[in-house]
Amino acid sequence: MRWFTFFCILLGISLFQSTLMNWINIGSAAPDLYFPLVIFYSFLADIKRNTIANWFVGMSKDLFSEGSFGINSVFFVATGFFVWSIRGILFRGHLVTQVLVTFIFSCIYNILYAVHATLSFHSLGLSATIWTIFTCSLYTAMIVPVLFWIFSKLQPVQEVFPR
Amino acid sequence: MRTSTPSFSDLIKTPIATIIILLAISLSFLFLPPKLSNRVKMTCVVPVRPLQWATCFCSNSANNFLDKVFSGWRNAHVKKQLEEQVSRFKNKILEQQDTIYKLQSKLYTISKFQAENKSKTKPVPADIIGYDSLAFRKSITVNAGSNHGVKPNDIVVSNNALIGKVVLVSGGSCVVQLITDPASRIPGRVLQTREQVIVEGNATGLCQLKYVPRWAKLKKGDDIVSSDIGGFFPSSLPIATVVETEVKGGDLFQSVKVLPRVNISKIEHVLVLTK
Repeated sequence: MRWFTFFCILLGISLFQSTLMNWINIGSAAPDLYFPLVIFYSFLADIKRNTIANWFVGMSKDLFSEGSFGINSVFFVATGFFVWSIRGILFRGHLVTQVLVTFIFSCIYNILYAVHATLSFHSLGLSATIWTIFTCSLYTAMIVPVLFWIFSKLQPVQEVFPR
Repeated sequence: MRTSTPSFSDLIKTPIATIIILLAISLSFLFLPPKLSNRVKMTCVVPVRPLQWATCFCSNSANNFLDKVFSGWRNAHVKKQLEEQVSRFKNKILEQQDTIYKLQSKLYTISKFQAENKSKTKPVPADIIGYDSLAFRKSITVNAGSNHGVKPNDIVVSNNALIGKVVLVSGGSCVVQLITDPASRIPGRVLQTREQVIVEGNATGLCQLKYVPRWAKLKKGDDIVSSDIGGFFPSSLPIATVVETEVKGGDLFQSVKVLPRVNISKIEHVLVLTK
């Protein structure tokens, strides 16, 4: 795993997520570009590198968003650890697995964040929140093939994603 | 067999120790006082702001270019400018209407006081350089900061309509909490019926009104303007328009959805009203 490449990818994602989202938003559905990166490194790297990478991804998301500083890094480290621990029973080289795992864990992450936001502000409507969680997670999962292709071109991952 | 106690350097090399250390750092950030964690956040992100500005500038330029290409065919550009002007004038009319209501209600002294307060504000134009990366939070980053006289809690408007308030400030930029953010609460008034309401964000494109009595006669198209109750926001700034009202069973209050007057994804510049 090349750390320089990782930080370049992270910077690119942060810039895209914080400035160019209006170009690819569909209504209220906005993809989370950070999340596929978490899943990618959880599939690819060993536990230590995976944890460090996910922590940096979470911190980066925290820096570019309003709200509690540190919460996303906790969520991402936990998600990364969980995906890493079950990756042995998954066929992680297959596209469907990658899309499904991203969708499921994105839903869980968004639900946890929505619970946190609801407890903090008491202002999220149930139906609108569920719709947002579903659409955002679905959109995030749909862009996984493209993002994983880009990530695998930039990182040496032949052993995980055979050609 | 000889056993030895692992040294600290060996210990921190284990994955579990890495996880615990990183989680401890994150949790310590979480439990830091908000002022301190916000300062850390703004300091860390300062080097990336020029890149954000450049990306946003390129994006806006590309957007404008594409807009112009299409408008060359259908004169859409002229139409857009006219629409913007009409929207601005409509907001102006709303503001004037509200002042007339106040005069009719014999609140002349208070409105004069408010007008004086209003004139004390100095508008600082700023470009939007970033958006929130979370689906459940709504904020923008603009390129005006403490160097331009911006302070936390300054009001931000666009086309004479309220869009939010400043929450974090660094030297050259600040973060604006939008009225659609779930943490946002703005005292408002229904222009036509004079009902006092609270405009609350819920992380969608719409906001909701809190504490609207069930007997209040609100209808679709009614306008919500800011109220100076609490002394935090200036009065009479257009905020939103009612799009849906619903009275449920035995609820004390109506459920009212309102559409913000400014679509944040369609604007590139804002005005920060510094005190």
